[in-house]
Amino acid sequence: MSQPAVKVDRLEKSLQTNKVLRGISFQANAGEIFGLLGPNGAGKTTTLRVICTLLTPDAGSVEVLGYDTRTAPQEVRRRVGVVTAEIGIYPRLTARENIAYFAELSGVMDGQLNRKVDAVIERLDMAAFAQQRAESLSSGQKQKVAIARAIVHDPPVLMFDEPTSNLDVLASREIRGFMVESKERGKCVIFSTHVLHDAERLCDRVTIIHQGRVVASGSTAQVRGSYKDLEDSFLALVEAAG
Amino acid sequence: MNAIAIVFKKELTEILRDRRTLIAIGLAALATPTVLYVISQVSTKTASQTYTIGYSGDVPAGLDILFNATGMKLERVVDPAVAAKQQVDIGLAFSSAGIDEYYDPTRQSAQVADVRVQTVLSNYAAAKVAAALQQKGIDPSVLNPLPVTQHPLSSPTKAASNSFLSFFLPYILITMSLTGGLSAALDSSAGERERKTLESLLLTPAPRSQVLIGKILAVTLISLTAAIAAIVSMLVALSQIQFGERAGDVFHVTLTPLATVVMVWLAILLAAAFASLTIALGTLARNFRQGQAYATPLYFITIFPASIILFIPDFNPNLGYFVIPILNAVLVLRDAIVHDSVSWSALAVTSASLIVTGALCFYAALRLFTREALLVRS
Repeated sequence: MSQPAVKVDRLEKSLQTNKVLRGISFQANAGEIFGLLGPNGAGKTTTLRVICTLLTPDAGSVEVLGYDTRTAPQEVRRRVGVVTAEIGIYPRLTARENIAYFAELSGVMDGQLNRKVDAVIERLDMAAFAQQRAESLSSGQKQKVAIARAIVHDPPVLMFDEPTSNLDVLASREIRGFMVESKERGKCVIFSTHVLHDAERLCDRVTIIHQGRVVASGSTAQVRGSYKDLEDSFLALVEAAG
Repeated sequence: MNAIAIVFKKELTEILRDRRTLIAIGLAALATPTVLYVISQVSTKTASQTYTIGYSGDVPAGLDILFNATGMKLERVVDPAVAAKQQVDIGLAFSSAGIDEYYDPTRQSAQVADVRVQTVLSNYAAAKVAAALQQKGIDPSVLNPLPVTQHPLSSPTKAASNSFLSFFLPYILITMSLTGGLSAALDSSAGERERKTLESLLLTPAPRSQVLIGKILAVTLISLTAAIAAIVSMLVALSQIQFGERAGDVFHVTLTPLATVVMVWLAILLAAAFASLTIALGTLARNFRQGQAYATPLYFITIFPASIILFIPDFNPNLGYFVIPILNAVLVLRDAIVHDSVSWSALAVTSASLIVTGALCFYAALRLFTREALLVRS
């Protein structure tokens, strides 16, 4: 069996006095969309922040393509791209400059910079607004810049944290399409959401966490079980977990 | 390109597209000459202004001519004491017993008029005494057995203007080193959190120390530009103003090469230290406005050291005082401007002190920039 792209093992993390993660374990593989589901405050964002090395685990371990987040954080960051609901981009830079800045910081060499930035602009259909300052872009366009910034260095692991929560229907559909396309390109896509309808449509496997613990894990069909849909299954699991 | 250069280039691009920073630098270049122009106009007006003496009684012969020659206009009034309160600048009541003088010390015009009246009366009295002695065949020089001839080693007018410059120039330099890059510093620290770009930035594999150095260098350059712009514009304005009235004592203010080199060196150190400090404070803040609140007390530390020079011009401290950041820069600059000399040991201590201050601020900024709470709080 091939190495998992992301391996989370008995992960524990406290933020100030609040114990947010209490022994989370799961694995996500290349070429799949892995759903990290749970109600608000379950610990989804904290888990993703530990995976991408923004937070350090209190206990347990996280590996990304074999690199431990504690001992090789820079190697992990080179291999991860993150898209969040909060579309933070530099308003006085153009869309293209925003993407190029992160490409350079992610180690894209000068000789490849323009080619890679142009490629991602074309892939996300951004040519029409690539030279516009970010402050003048719509929310959907800004989200595209945020995605482009996260993937311009071609990371094998992509993490989406509630990526559609501030977007309209059309922009949300584009994001979903992009996640499917990334999976088809062999990327490991981790999709954190509380929108279970999206998760059911997109995810190959899911893990449901509640109050910092895993309450269910498996293929989407396995977790849905005998319930009508994933939402009913989710509600039953969360109620059972207290 | 390494991360320092990448961040530096990006920060500079953003800063130069930010109206707030450009306005701050523009104001720095314009405000100082404007203030100097107003000061010079007020000074010129004070020096050439005619003051009014309200008088009663008979003015001694010849005294009226002296008053007129020194810009004092005589105006007969009923009661000099009443008139001196508002109607005229000073009141004189002439009588056979002498002169009663009335003036209100709270009015600046009365103070200037008083000085002029005292000078005129003193000269008048001396002339009268000399004339009386000569009439009796006595040499008037008997009244002055030890005549003093003054030989100022430098122009008194120039000394006065250097004294003014030794307060004003350090004040402008320090203030602009702080405020010129303040907006940029807060924007690149607190602004990252406010715009939600911090998380994405910290997700890149670029070492955080290099990211921080890139930011500090960009802010330092802007602060330095603002400080130099303010001082150059001030010196250009001063070069247009003529100081001194007597022939041989007329000159324009210029900065010597030594003072210029010392000023630029200190400006670099101050700008770098302030950039590290304000970025550290900005990293503590959740947004730009909170960052401004944290940085406000810094304004005071720019005012106090320069004020010491204003109130104690001859303050000559031992070497230990040069360890105190800001004050040390003020003292070194004062000596370079007023005496055109630098104590190299004082400059070395000052430089070391400012470099250590900047390094400590950088360390604090780095610690703040890499702590988990930074992301959790946001």
